This record gives sequence, C-alpha cells and structure tokens, in this order.
Amino acid sequence: MEEIPPPAAAIGAMVPVPLTELFTIAAEYERAGGLEQADRLLERMLEASPRQADTLHLAGIVSFRLGRHEKSLRQMQEAIEYGVDTALYLRNICEVYRSLGRLDEALATARRAVELSPSDPLCLHNIAIIHYERLEIEESIACAERALMMNPGLAGAHFELAEALLLKGDWARGWDEYEWRFQISGAAPLMPPTDKPQWDGTPFSDATLLLIADQGFGDVIQFGRYIPWAAERCPDIVVACPSEMEPVLRQLHPGLRMFQNWQLCPPYRAYAALSGLPRLHGTRVDNVPVQGPYLRADPARVAVWRDRLDSLSPRSYRRVGIVWAGRPTHNNDRRRSTTLASFAPIAALPRTALVSLQKGPSTDQAGRYFGRAPLINVGAEIQDYDDTMALLACLDVVVTVDTSVGHLAAAMGVPAWIMLATAPDWRWLLTRDDSPWYPSVRLFRQSQARQWGDVMLRVADALRERFAGSAGPLA
Amino acid sequence: MNAPVSLSCPCGSGLRSARCCSLDASSLPPPESTRHLVPLVERAVQAHRQGANDTAERLCLDVLEMAPDRPGALLVLYQIRKDQGKHAAAEALIRRVVLFDPNNFLATNELALLLMAKGALAEAEIHARNAVRIAPENPQAHNLMGMIMTEAQRPQIGEFHYRRVLELAGNRDPILLANLAWCLKNQGRMEEGRALYRESVAAAPGIRQTLLGWARLEEADRKFDAAAEILDQMDKQWPDDPGVLLSRAVLLGRMKGYDEALAVLDRIAALTSDGRLGPTELSEKGRLLDQMGRYDDAFEAFLEGKRLARELSGNQYQDFAADTLIQRLRGFFTAGRLRTLPRARVRSDVAQPILVLGFPRSGTTLVEQTLSAHSRIVAGDELPLIHDITSIMPRMLNSPLVYPEALAELWMGDQRDGLDNLRDYYLQKVGQMGILEPGAAWFTDKMPLNEMQLGLIALLFPEAPLIHVIRHPLDVMVSAISNHFTHGFFCSSALETAALHYVRVMDLVQHYRSEMALRYLPIRYEDMIEDQEATVRSMLDFIGEDFEARCLQFHENQRYARTASYAQVTEKLYDRSRFRYRHYRRHLEPVIPILQPVIERLGYTVD
Repeated sequence: MEEIPPPAAAIGAMVPVPLTELFTIAAEYERAGGLEQADRLLERMLEASPRQADTLHLAGIVSFRLGRHEKSLRQMQEAIEYGVDTALYLRNICEVYRSLGRLDEALATARRAVELSPSDPLCLHNIAIIHYERLEIEESIACAERALMMNPGLAGAHFELAEALLLKGDWARGWDEYEWRFQISGAAPLMPPTDKPQWDGTPFSDATLLLIADQGFGDVIQFGRYIPWAAERCPDIVVACPSEMEPVLRQLHPGLRMFQNWQLCPPYRAYAALSGLPRLHGTRVDNVPVQGPYLRADPARVAVWRDRLDSLSPRSYRRVGIVWAGRPTHNNDRRRSTTLASFAPIAALPRTALVSLQKGPSTDQAGRYFGRAPLINVGAEIQDYDDTMALLACLDVVVTVDTSVGHLAAAMGVPAWIMLATAPDWRWLLTRDDSPWYPSVRLFRQSQARQWGDVMLRVADALRERFAGSAGPLA
Repeated sequence: MNAPVSLSCPCGSGLRSARCCSLDASSLPPPESTRHLVPLVERAVQAHRQGANDTAERLCLDVLEMAPDRPGALLVLYQIRKDQGKHAAAEALIRRVVLFDPNNFLATNELALLLMAKGALAEAEIHARNAVRIAPENPQAHNLMGMIMTEAQRPQIGEFHYRRVLELAGNRDPILLANLAWCLKNQGRMEEGRALYRESVAAAPGIRQTLLGWARLEEADRKFDAAAEILDQMDKQWPDDPGVLLSRAVLLGRMKGYDEALAVLDRIAALTSDGRLGPTELSEKGRLLDQMGRYDDAFEAFLEGKRLARELSGNQYQDFAADTLIQRLRGFFTAGRLRTLPRARVRSDVAQPILVLGFPRSGTTLVEQTLSAHSRIVAGDELPLIHDITSIMPRMLNSPLVYPEALAELWMGDQRDGLDNLRDYYLQKVGQMGILEPGAAWFTDKMPLNEMQLGLIALLFPEAPLIHVIRHPLDVMVSAISNHFTHGFFCSSALETAALHYVRVMDLVQHYRSEMALRYLPIRYEDMIEDQEATVRSMLDFIGEDFEARCLQFHENQRYARTASYAQVTEKLYDRSRFRYRHYRRHLEPVIPILQPVIERLGYTVD
C-alpha cells in the first residue's frame, strides 16, 4: 500500500504540535484512507490525553474501519462517557453495536440519538437499518420514509427503503427506490462520467446498448438472465464486465461482446446496469424470467473434474460442495459468513465427502478441519468460473452461505442450499424456503442472529433425508 | 610430548584440536614427507598388541601431531579410546581413518558398527554399502549390511545379505543363523526364525545373545511359556545377567505379573555399581508402574530414563534442522507452485499404498493391524522409502538442488516424468521387500511422521488414501515420554521438544491441506475405541474396499508389528489408553501451553 504522506505537520517534527492540530492531521489521514497512520497518531494523542472525547471518537471510527470492532466499541463508549452526549457519537456507536450483533443496544442508542437530534434524518436512517437487521421490516420502512420526509435526497435512506420493500416482496416500489444505490455517498461509480442516457427499456436496433455487470459476481449471475430480454429489444449489446465473468456471460447470448477496460468501450447510445434490468423488465415475485437452468458446464471439463474427484474420494460417496465464507470486504460479510468448523453436523454424515469450493483467505480453515467426512480441498485448483461450473456439475448438492457460488449452482440447476442470516439480502425475501429466482434453491434461514448451529443441524437433517435410500442409509 | 591441556581437542582424543576435530586437511604434509614415521606407527601397533597401551598411546599422539592423517596411528588410538569408553574421541578418530583411507575395510566396518550402535542408521547404511563395494565377497561386509538393514526396518534386504554371508562363508555359523532368525522375526516369519534359533542353539548352545533373541521371538509370538523356559535356562547359565533380567521383566509385564516384574528390575538396579537402572530399564519400569496405577512414580521413571538416554547417546532434538526443513517445505509446497508441477501417473498393475500417517505412538500400528486384517490389504509396516526418495531425488532428477527444491527439475523437458521414476523406485523397493501377497490390492506404509512429506506423497501417489491418525496430543505426549524412538529429529528425547515438534508437524500438515487437494481422512484413535465398527467402516469406505468383519478382530491378526506398540495391538481394544494423560495432568503442565492451539484445533479439551 502506498505510504500516505503526512498532510500538514510531520509527526516526528521537532517543533511540538498542538493536540488540536494533530487531531486535524489524524482526521485528514482518516478521510484520505491512511487508517494505520491515523491510528498510530491517535494512539499517541490518547497516551497524552486519554479522556479527550473527540480523539476517542475519531479513534473509534478508525478502529472500526480497520475491522477492530471491539476496540472501536470501547473507544466510542469512552468518547460518550467523557464527552457531551452528541447525536453524532450515538449514531456512530450504533453502527459498531450493529456490526457486533448487539442489536438491542444499537436500537436503544439509535433512539436516544433521535431524541437528541429529532430533525436529523441520518439518525432515522440509522434506525431503519437496525430495524431491517432485526427483521422489523415495517418499522424499517417507516423510519426510512420519515428520514426521507426530512431530506428527500438522502440516498442512503432511499436504498434502505428499497431493501426493505424488496425483501417484503413489494418489488414495484422497491425497484424504483433501488435506483438510488449509485447516489449513496462513497458508493463506487457505475462507470466513468458519460453524456449518454440511462436506458429506459425502449427498443432500438440501430445502435449499441451498453450493459454494465455491476455489483458482485452473484448479482451478475442473477441479473445476467436479463441479457436475452435486453437483446430482444436492442440486438447490439456490449457488456462491461470483469474478466472472471466472461465464461458465465458468454453463455447467455450468442456472440455477446464484452470488454474489461473502459478505454476499449465502443460507442453506444444508452447504458444500463445489469442490476437495473429487473426494474425495466417490470419483474415481480410471480414473473421472474428464466425459470430453469440457464448456465451449463463444459462437458469436457466436467469429465476432468469428475476424474479428479474420483481420485480424491470414493465414487460411492455423496458429494456436497461447501462454501463457508464470502468475500471479507463485503460490508455484510460478518453476518453472512460462517466457519468451516460450524459444518460439523454435516461433516458427521457417513459416506459423504465435502468438496470445498471456498476461495480467498478463509481457505486456510481447510487445514484445520478434522471432521468425519473427508474434505476435498480443490479450491486452490479452481482457475476460473468454467472450472467452478464443471465442478458444480459433479456434485450432489451445494451447501453455501450467501455467495456467488450459490447463484452459479442455482443458475445451473444444481441443488443449491443457501444458508441465510436472520436478516438476509433482499433477494431471498422473507420466511420462504424457496426462491422465485431459482427453482433449485432451498433456503435455510437463521432462527437466531449469527447462530449457525441450528441451521447446520437442519441442513444435515435435510441431507440425510435427501440421500436416504441412495447408496445406503445415512445413520 | 603431549599437547598442552588447554589446546586439547574437546572430543577427548588427546590430540590438539588443530590436529583433530579442527584439522585443516589442506595443511596436511604430503604422505612421502612423513614416511619416516612409519616405524613409529609399527611400534605403536606392536605395543598395543602386547597390551602396552600407554606406550602405544604416546607413540600415536607423537605421530599424529606430525602427521594427523596416518591411518595406522589413528586406528590404534581409536582402539585405545574405544576401550576406554571415550566414545566421542573414538568416533572422531575412526571417521578420520575412513576420510583419509576410504578403501580401508576394517575402518569402514568399525565406523558402520559404531554408527549402528548409536542409532544413526542412515549414516551407518552409507558406510555398510561402502564396505560391500570395497569387499563384495567378504562375508563380514554382507553381515554388516544384514544387521543394519534389519535394524533400519528393511529386514527383507537384510535377509538377502545374511543369505549372501551363508553362501560366501560356506558354513552355517551359529551367530549368523541367530542374526538371520532375528531378521525373520522382524518380518513376522516366526516359524522360520524359531527353526533357525533351534539350529543355532544346537550348534552353539551357550551364546547369550542368541538365546535372548529367541526368548524375544517367543514373547513377541505370544508363546510366553516358551520364552520363560529359555529365560529359565539362561538364568542357570548367567545368573543375574542384566539382559536376561530385563527380558524377564518384559515377559512378566506382558503376563501381567507387575509386582514380580518390578522386583526383577530392582534386582538389575541392585547389581549395578550405582544402584541405578539404564534408560531402557527405566522406561520398562515406568510402563509397569503405569499399569499398576502408580502414575507419579511412573512419570519419574520415564523422565529419568529420558535424561539418561540423552546423557548416554548425546541425542537431543535437532531443533534447527527440524525448523529449517519445515520452513523450506512450507515455502516450496504452495498452491501456486503445485499448479505448475506434474503428478505421477497411477499404476494399475501393482498394489497401491495406503499411507497411515501420524506422530509416533498415536495409534498408527492399531490402524495398520486393523486394515491389514482385510483380505485385500497387506501390512507394509514402517517403510523408510519416502525418506529415501527425499535423499536420492537430486540424483534421480539430475538436480544441483536438494529436496524439496530439487522438484524444480520437473519443469524441465527431460524430467517431466521424473515423478514416475521416483514412484517406481518406491514400488520396486516394496516389491523387493516381499510385502506384497497375491490378491493384495493395497499395502500400508505407516512410517511415522510421513505427514511431513504430504506434498511429495501427493505428487507421487495422487490417489493414495492418506489416513491420518489423530489422538489427544497429551496422550501422544504420554506415549512419547514412555517410549524411546528416534523419529522426528530425536524430538522424544525430552517432553518439551516432543511437544514442540508435534506442533510444528501439525502446523505443516495444516499448511499442506490448505494449499492442495489431498485424499486425506483423519481418524481419531478415540473413535477406534469408542465406535470401532463405524470407524473401521469409514476407513474401508474411504479406501474403497468392502467392510470385512475380521478387521474388528485385528488382535487375532497373527501378523507381528515390529513397532513399540506390538504388545498392545495383540490385545482387544481397551479403553485404558484413551485419555491416559489425565493421570499425568500435573506432569504434563509444562507442555500444555505449547500444545493448546493444536488441542483446540483438533477439537479436544484438557480435562
């Protein structure tokens, strides 16, 4: 990581720097993303003045952004203890409580913030988020709407409202609110600035429509199904996508043009994000397009992977693909990810092999696994999504937390059992254990926040039931 | 003139350091310039022959001060120091003879014997092979190979050399017959061994070592009465012989006569000048006390045994060597690199290995006995072949590098099938060992700590089942402290180093498993006790073989396992060895912090 130069005065300068000035420097570091530098500077300031509320608060923000949530909480609590009872501090500690799963404290604090600053829409927005996470969807909607009454341009509240509406199945309103996602402060821009319009769904055949494979890989797989629909209206389509997604998208429309570098973007008349197509399509819970597998693995690769799996575990074993963690940088990762160790009830099933599809830093948990079912850790051998699809085609079922692998398996028609946090992503709706998006999906929802134990037990039971009668009973 | 004390070599040779262990070979005078010293060497040889050791010693020191490479003087001084019990000096001197006179059969033979006695079998084997090269028709050269290969757990090769001795010598020397009998016993060929012992004793009835070996064979073959009869005879001929007494104590222990066995050990102690037992006797005493539930006394005996063993052998944990190798293995076997390396092809024309992995004394023998009770699986025992492959790899792959870096040659066009050659080396040696039986689809290789080479094994045998026997780490420690084994860089010479090495190996296994796909199944020793049938079924399932009920009666498997746990695996499964550490909780306190992370990772607790 590039070293960020001190914004104003050098930290080690010979001339003593007043604490207020140091605070400004630390705040500038924090804004510029120099979190470690800010953290070091704030630590030194707190050594000199341990009860300085602003410093503690800023240190809490920095710790939070560094992923040190427990430390952040301690700092924020001290900031509140030693400082004045400001809505800002309360609002921020709220987020820390929420991240730590302490939702009662988060809600109580958020309410105090509203009492202190009743005209601050951000405080209401905060409460809306907490209600969503508590699965109090109507309350979440009400708070977001109140925030928007105070500030109709508050993009975050629109987005929160969208998520709540979509989750409860009110997709007509939800898609419109969902359009605010690119206006949220700090959100990555969809594309470089352009003078071309966003596509409104009107067909044209004399120019190119640019589609942008936005958001995560799971979103691309899920919304990629709309490409044929878009192509019926605008036959000349080009898609801006990460290279990893090419093997997936190329299956969705013959001859689909794709590019990775914006400098290679051809002229186009209008653009649309893939995640915006459901709105243009008018998708409702009962009319989701493409009810069946729309991705398939390359048979030659499937043969290679089948041989590979046969060499690593008995053919007679049921093969259960597993993913226990998502991308750690995802803002919801703490809630959606679990650990390999939590798969213990599934690992106890006899004549079953677990096939790890895990990628990323959590892969190292494979080395610490000592369950009864053999674990085939082929994650490191998966080169691309073509490999992943071929491997998925060799599995009996995939059990995963909410990651792109679940989408991929589901899009292929492979039984995909997706384990969800209490407050899931909107696309999985409420309470139901199936999905209008994918017929082969089965949902397993947490009954208690952040507790995966009973989910795993239910999955293990379901696997036992599914495999009963095939290749011998599961004890 | 003797060298001043302050400059004497620390090895105790009596030479100056600069003329002994710190000798700079490039500073040696040419042999012709010291030819005038030859008469002095001859006088030293003669004096030594006549028992005038002081004179011989003085002459040797004088000669070696001027010509430190004179083999004759070195050999005489070696003999004197050896007789004085100055082992370090003797070893340094005989090594120097071999260095300066590599074709000296006598010295090569001596060095190989010395190394074998020390337990340095790999190095002893190098010199034993040289002895055969120097004198291919010398029976002693083959006898040496026979002894070393038998001790190095390759008794089949040892047997070949013993039989060469029989051919070359043209007679049936009773000692050789006894050696061959021991070799056959180590292959589980008890009847053949027994017949040879009978023949040997008939030809030479009064050979103590022969009778001791025979008694051990009978004891191992569960013929306790026969063993007792031999020991009774020996008692008459060699009353109060420590070796006989120790064998008696072991036998009594196996027959559950613990008090009597302890009394025998006390008798051994009383016979020594200081009233104390040696390391082997102390370990036996500890095991007896453990059986009797006298755990504090048992642990004290174990610790004292370890201390004495360290003192006598000089063997300590090779910390730096272990750490360095593990770091290099971690650095080499990474997912990125593994993607670029080929794998050996799987041969369908020969039986395939099942690797039974685990720390020494973690239950690998039990698992092997269980599996080899199956009609399609034979026991290979502790095969040293993976380790051998790491040694010969640079030569086989024509690499200037050593293992594991030598695997980089696989990137070369002319070495793409290098792994196939290494695989065939392994399989060919297995064939030579006579392990394979008609109808066997699999053979086991339960060399402890083979898990350190998981990366290499997976390249050589990508489809071989890897069964890793897991046991509560504190139980493994109790076993490590109560037994002497040399695996793992001599880690078991002390409790703390056994724990340290255990953690290092488990971390390395974790690394391999994170970086590569393995056909790997962890099996808990405790599950073998608690739910034997389910565990055996899951192992056989994993291997791809049908369940056979006789695998549950593994104690009826007549095969003799030559490892330290042989006495246990001939008994039915018993619960006593599970969580045995609880008796030693207090004594194990120093290693709990070292082991705690692995204890947790494996899902155990410390109760």
